Amino acid sequence: MMLTESPIRRLDAKAPGLAEELKRDLDIDITRCLECGKCSGGCSYAHGFDYTPRKMVQLIKLEERGKLLRMRALWTCLSCQLCLDRCPSSIDMPRILDYLRGKAYAERLNDVHPEIEKFYEIMLSDIRNNGRISETLMMARFNFATRRYFSNADLGMKLFFKGKLKLFGPKTKNLNSLRALFAKLLFRSPAEQEPS
Amino acid sequence: MAVAFYPGCSHHALAEEYDRSARTICAHLQLELKEVEDWNCCGATAAHSLSPDLSLALNMRNLSQVKKMGLDEVITPCSGCFNRLKVAAHEIEHHPAALQNFAAMAQCELPSQVNVRHLLQFILEQYPSQQIESLVKKPLRGLKLAAYYGCLLTRPAAVVQFDDPEQPVALDGLMRSLGAQTVTWSHKAECCGGGFSASEPGIAGDLGGQILASAKDAGAEAIVAACPLCQMNLDSRQALGCDLPIVYFTQLMGLAFGYGWNEMRFSKLLTSPKPLLSRLGLL
Repeated sequence: MMLTESPIRRLDAKAPGLAEELKRDLDIDITRCLECGKCSGGCSYAHGFDYTPRKMVQLIKLEERGKLLRMRALWTCLSCQLCLDRCPSSIDMPRILDYLRGKAYAERLNDVHPEIEKFYEIMLSDIRNNGRISETLMMARFNFATRRYFSNADLGMKLFFKGKLKLFGPKTKNLNSLRALFAKLLFRSPAEQEPS
Repeated sequence: MAVAFYPGCSHHALAEEYDRSARTICAHLQLELKEVEDWNCCGATAAHSLSPDLSLALNMRNLSQVKKMGLDEVITPCSGCFNRLKVAAHEIEHHPAALQNFAAMAQCELPSQVNVRHLLQFILEQYPSQQIESLVKKPLRGLKLAAYYGCLLTRPAAVVQFDDPEQPVALDGLMRSLGAQTVTWSHKAECCGGGFSASEPGIAGDLGGQILASAKDAGAEAIVAACPLCQMNLDSRQALGCDLPIVYFTQLMGLAFGYGWNEMRFSKLLTSPKPLLSRLGLL
């Protein structure tokens, strides 16, 4: 008798490549997932995700690398660590997302939330150039780069009148040690986008 | 007693009132804060989002700066900085070989055994509640607070090892030592979305708005915070129908210890706590 075709795919018994990769690079064993869904039940922003953490585990098992590297949730996860703390198997999903986001960034695959990536790049270029960030300058550069000239403008005015907008603060002196770290550990140099 | 102090980037600008009130109450507690020499930004969400290794390395360097001062403990008032420093200290302990590489790149010694504590944690663990109570000159009677912890102060529990990640109580206890009341509410350990304040204000407004509404619904007249990013984010989401002052725990400690409105820089908060504190006779 022929089995009718089901929309639910059965997982192969053999661990797929991506799960092996996470085991090798992060020492995280995705096969320990109990499929309880507590990660998604607790997630503060699951209502805004295209894939919830529970579904992400399934995508890993199904070797859906493309979907994982291009999903919106990769950029809108808050890294609040709640899914990790609720997981009975202590699967570090925020760490997995950092890993995947790093890959998506290196391979320039983020076409869902470029503004979030841009914000991170501007912040990192400030750190690379000064060792510390000036929140005021960072915001101004971000609004300019994303052409959102009036984003948070009301807030900006309120902060201005409170005397909270400071352009320059003390910098880190030993910038050479920081630049060495950026050169070796950031997949794409922020200097490519933001000349110092 | 002297301890290394990592202020973080917010303390020099947006959170000046947190910095001033923290330094004042620490002096009052006879705690000498030695600012970490030549510290660098912890990288916050930006660094670990694009390169987790860079995040670890930046904070490894900060911890090595603490060691250079001959100290082996650092405290920080920012939950974001606290989390990144704590994760780095944890990785140094558990995966020293990988971190040794980063130390070589930054041309510094791998800093081992540096204890990282949040300012709130340090105060609670170092000063018994009776001692705090004995310093109270002006009890915060009648002040109904929602104690807000947010996400990174208590999570991940296995790494930060402070309070309970689901039902934290530390800040509630401290506020009661000052004579204030704290409400039972649902969102004390929910993330406020502050990391997206600039890049995706819609997310920060969505999550921040829920926290404000939950605190108000539980009967709180103000929220007390222990992180400059949480304070700033919540205070800038008030347009959503709330007018709850978001005050720093250090400002309330100072007020209870006898310092005034100006000394605690209350006027720097976007939503003024003046009507509330005046009504309760606390100014």
